[in-house]
Formats: sequence, C-alpha cells, structure tokens
Amino acid sequence: MSTTEDTTRALPVVAPETTTPTKKGRRALSRKASADVVPATPPVDEKPFTPGPYGKAARGFVWGLLAWFVIAVPANVLSPFDLGVSDVGAATEAVIFGIVGLSLNILLGYAGQISLGHQAFVGIGAFTSAYIVTDLQLSFWFGVLIAAALGGAVSGLLGAISLRLTGLYFALVTLAFGAFAEQTLLGIPEITGGEGGKAAPRPTGFDTELRYYILCLAVLAVVLLVDWRLTKSKAGRALAALRENPRVAATYGINVKNYVLIAFVLSGLIAGVAGALLAHHDEVIVGQKFGFRLALLFVMMTVVGGLRSRSGVVIGAAFFALLETGKLLEMVDKPLGAVGFSLTDFFEGTIGLPQEFVALVVGPILLIVTITLYPGGIGQQIAPVREWLLGRRFDPHAGKVEEVTVSDVRA
Amino acid sequence: MDGFAQEFAIAMTSGLLRGSVYALVALGIVLVFRASGVFNFAQAEFGTTGLFAAYAALELWGWSYPVAFVFGLAVAIAMGLATERLVIHPLRNASKVTVLVGTAGVALTAIGLQFWLFNETLIMTMPKISDAFFVTPWGAAVTVQALITAGVLAVVAVLLALFFRSPSGLAVQAAQQEPVAAELIGISVRRVSMMTWGIAAALGGLAGLLTGPILTFTAAFLSFGAFAALLPGFMAAVLAGMRSMPGAVAGGLVVGCVEQLGSLSVLSTRIPGTGAAVLFVFLLAVLLIKPQGVFVGRTVTA
Repeated sequence: MSTTEDTTRALPVVAPETTTPTKKGRRALSRKASADVVPATPPVDEKPFTPGPYGKAARGFVWGLLAWFVIAVPANVLSPFDLGVSDVGAATEAVIFGIVGLSLNILLGYAGQISLGHQAFVGIGAFTSAYIVTDLQLSFWFGVLIAAALGGAVSGLLGAISLRLTGLYFALVTLAFGAFAEQTLLGIPEITGGEGGKAAPRPTGFDTELRYYILCLAVLAVVLLVDWRLTKSKAGRALAALRENPRVAATYGINVKNYVLIAFVLSGLIAGVAGALLAHHDEVIVGQKFGFRLALLFVMMTVVGGLRSRSGVVIGAAFFALLETGKLLEMVDKPLGAVGFSLTDFFEGTIGLPQEFVALVVGPILLIVTITLYPGGIGQQIAPVREWLLGRRFDPHAGKVEEVTVSDVRA
Repeated sequence: MDGFAQEFAIAMTSGLLRGSVYALVALGIVLVFRASGVFNFAQAEFGTTGLFAAYAALELWGWSYPVAFVFGLAVAIAMGLATERLVIHPLRNASKVTVLVGTAGVALTAIGLQFWLFNETLIMTMPKISDAFFVTPWGAAVTVQALITAGVLAVVAVLLALFFRSPSGLAVQAAQQEPVAAELIGISVRRVSMMTWGIAAALGGLAGLLTGPILTFTAAFLSFGAFAALLPGFMAAVLAGMRSMPGAVAGGLVVGCVEQLGSLSVLSTRIPGTGAAVLFVFLLAVLLIKPQGVFVGRTVTA
C-alpha cells in the first residue's frame, strides 16, 4: 500500500504537463495546474492527457502489484506469506461477497431501491445449485445457470409487486420475503436437507481451494464487465436518470417501471450466481446461514464500499467478508507485529472487545460514519488512485460527494 | 370440528396478545414515518436495548423492579434521541433509502453492543411483573403479564390520541406537513423531531420491557430474535397506511392473529416456518389488493 502512495505522490513531477482540452481531462487537472496551464480559451485539437513513460511504468508497476496480491499471494507464488487452505477459502468468500455486493449495488446504487432480503436470493441460488448437482446429478454449470435464472425470476416478481408502491415498500416486501425464505423455503427438508444441510460438491477441475478461488475470481471479472457495460448502455443511463428524478425521466420517454424491473432481474440473477458459488464453496450448505443478519451485512458492505463505485463495492465486500471470518485482523496484525503492535490485542485488551465481536460492533459503526460523513464510502476515498491507475492524472478531488449522493424522490 | 374450533380460539387469543406488542411497535413506526418520512428499522431495537438496560439494572446491579423498569425506558428514550441527533438530523437532506440504511445501522450497532456487553451471560431472563395466569373457558392460558401488555397498549393509544389533540401534538402534525410554514409560525421543527423520536423510542422501550419477561432473550430479541416484532410491526404500519394511529393498533392485532393462523396444526404440520409464510402471503395480498392500507380512516386522501 505504501508503494502506491509514494508513486502517486511523485506523479505530478514525473508526468509531463500537457494541457487538456476535453471536459474529462480538465476535471482531472489539479487546481494549481489548471491555474497555470489552462488558457482562457482552451484549444480544441490538443490530445487528452496521456501519462509519460515514467507514469506508464509506475502505473504498470501498481497494476502488477494488484495482480500479484490478488492472484500470486493466494497461490503462494513469489510471496513471502505462507497462506494456508483456510486463508484461500476466506479469500474465495471475499470474492463471492464482492459479487453479491455488485448485485446489490445495481438495486441500491443504480435503481435507488433497497433490498433487505438479498440473502434470500443468494440462498435460493445456493440451494438450487446444490439440489441440481447433488440430487439430480447434473453438471455444476447447469446448476449455476438455473440458480441465476431462479434468482432473477424471484427478484423480478417481488419487484413487480412492490413497484405498485413507492420505493420504500420494496424494502418491506424483501424483508418479509427474506424471513419467509429463511424459515419456509429453505426449511423444506426434501430440497434443502433440513437441519443437516445439503451437500454441494465442487465442480470437477476446480476441486482445490486455489482453483475454486480462481473460478470465483473469473466470475467476479465477468460480473464487473457486465456491470460496466450496463452503466455505459442505454439502460444504465435510463436508470441514472430515473433514480435522480423519475418524473422527469418519464417525461423523456423512459419507461420507468420497465427499467427498474430490469435492475431487479439483473440483480437477482447475479445474486443467484453468487449463491451457487457460495454453496459449492462451503460444500455443505444450511438454511440457517441465510438469516436477516446476512441481509444487513450485505447492505452494510455495499454502502460502506460506496454506491455506484464498482471498485469500492468489491473492496468493501472483501473487507466485511474478511472481517467476519476474523482474517482481516490476522492480516493487519502480521505486518504490525514487526513494530510490536497487535490490533487484536488492542481490541481485546484495551477496549475489552473480544475478537469474535469485532465485526459485529465495528461494522455498523463504520456504516453510520460512512453514510453521515463520507456518503461516497470507500469508492470515494480510492477515487484518486483509481483515476490515476486508469491512465489519468492523480487528482485528490476525484469522486466528489456531488457525484455519489443518492436522491430518491419516489420514496 | 369442535377440536378445530377450540384450537382456532386459542390461536386467536394468543394472536391478540402477541398482536398488542406488534401494535406498540407499529405505533412507533407510524409516528416516526409521519415525522421523518422514514421506515425506522431501529424501532424494535429501542425495545431490546431498553430491556437489556433494565436487565442489567435489575439482575446485575440489584436495583428494584420499578427503578429498573424506568431506567430501561430512559435508556430506550436516550437511544431514540441519540438516533435523531446523530443519524437522522445529519441525513435530513439525504434520500429516504439512505436514511433507512442509517436506521438499520443504528439497529445493528445496538445488536453488536448487546452481543458484546452481555456475551458472558448465557441465558437472560427477566422476572415477570406478575407470575399469575388463568385459563379461559375455551382453554387458552393467558398470563397476567400479557394482559398488562394489552392494557398498556390501550392506555398508550388513548394517551397518543389525546396528545395529538393537544397544542404539542398539533405542532407535531404541522411540522411534518409543512416544515417551513411551521418554522415561520414559531414551531421548532428540530424540537418536534426530537420529541417524536423520543416518544417512538419510549413506545419501543415499553414493547421490549413488557415482552422480555415472557421468554428468555438474546441480542436482537425484538428485531429478529425470539420475539421478532419488527416485521409484523411494519406490516401493521402498512395496514395503517403508514399514517393512522388507530390503524396501527388495529393492524397490530390483525397481524398477530394472522400470524397465529400459521400455528394451526392444519398448516404447521405440512409447511415449515408457517408463521413467516403466512405473514409474507398476507403482506403480498395487502399490497396487491389494497396498497394504500386498510385501517387508514379519513386521514389518507391520495
């Protein structure tokens, strides 16, 4: 992490001071540079900002570092850490939570609807896939497909019902559905195996923790791609418009209900896929896992991650997943141990907060702090670094709050 | 058939008694919705927190029952006021969905603190106000504790009705209908908002303190624990169109009875978790058939 900051700080000196006539480029300029460089009437035909050779090298290095952290460290290749199987398992869960976070982000961030029963969509996906693989002896890929279809169908149905009312009622319907799914649907012994749970074996070829982790990572990449294309498509722009003001959007000929419904279906679809991945990650899945607390955890990680920020949501989800499993404290304590400090000891000794309760207490406080003080969440904090990594200038003012405020006038 | 009729009567009796707790929660939800326009997911947690405070005072610090009861209520009210100050007020310009997430955050914080601070106490029970019970002619056992809860609900409902006819109550209504105009004629919208949240938290606290003794309780007792009243409370509020106070009371009692239909052996032996299933179907039916609410009275115009 320190490498990232050092290189980014050094950047304004290294990068050549090209003027940037495009709107995007001008926004990326730091305040000082814009005062010095931008002429009164910016010339039209100049090229947008491109990093110089050093800038490219620095960005490439940080990208490489990220890839190393995500792929090589769990694989124990070229890595000083000796990660065990459980560590890789925790990383897999973090990736799956990232997929769930992106799924919830479509509803919460793009459509401005809150789902308090997302754990049910994930759970339905999980048991569908487990049932198809274990009981029907069909392939894992078919299971994922049906899980996705079912998740999308259920979410779309609930959405269609609650669209008759204002946005807040979707929260209520999903809340009731979550309780119903947890206690009734996921409690049917013939499908879910009752108290003992349901076996969900890993697909052939992906039976080791590491291979399964790579598989989940690939799915996350696909979901990120879909999400990115969604925001660039007509549907994405329509969603943005109707979230800001549905009446104005409708005036411009946007079919508000249809587009919100698309968001519901897409979100449920991705949640179903995440559920299938979660089932085959745990290998035995029980209905009690999908309680209301999980739904709140999903909302928490998405909001803290930062609505409408893909990178932020994934980081937030991974953060909460690792916090839940207790791996995050381990990860932080390892480097801190070198200077003789342990966060676990700090929580347990100084505050008197046992390690297993850290996630329960710290998570919600982070949530409240995020929405009251930093509504952009993690996504807002990392926006300058992200912009820089994407080949633009390092701008400490990137990701301003104006860009991330939610305005849900329907509600 | 006689057996079924008796079973039904017993289910309805316990439904009404459970429903009075839901009604208390629903009253708080409606009150907050009218004042802040937000679904308050911390409403049930006000109750659990008050209950934990009273438990600590009574069992750990050895205070007397009435003092502990009042202390629990005070803690609940303090939590309500703190929620208004620290979460609702800073988010007054944010979207409703954001505020909703904020109240969920308050609930989760309270749950986290309950887990943490009481993790050494395995089983928590609160003594009842009265251990007495009697059996109705149709065979339902009714505890005096449950009757007290129903009585408190009746008193609270009457008090609230009187309150909304008093100058303060009218100020509350004015502030929520037209905040700017209310400010202009000298109503402190800020103080009204505090007052509403305080009253709502007191209602939640009452619900918690009165139901705690019925069962052993854990963290999140009233939200999604042993006596999950949050979702039924919301359903009751929906039945009341999120506006009507008498509607919230009626809605709570109806939801309590509907939920108990799930306990009838015709259903419960065939479907797992029937209470939740019946409630979900009921909510869908209400939203599909009469989304503007059932017990709304004259208050709703749109």
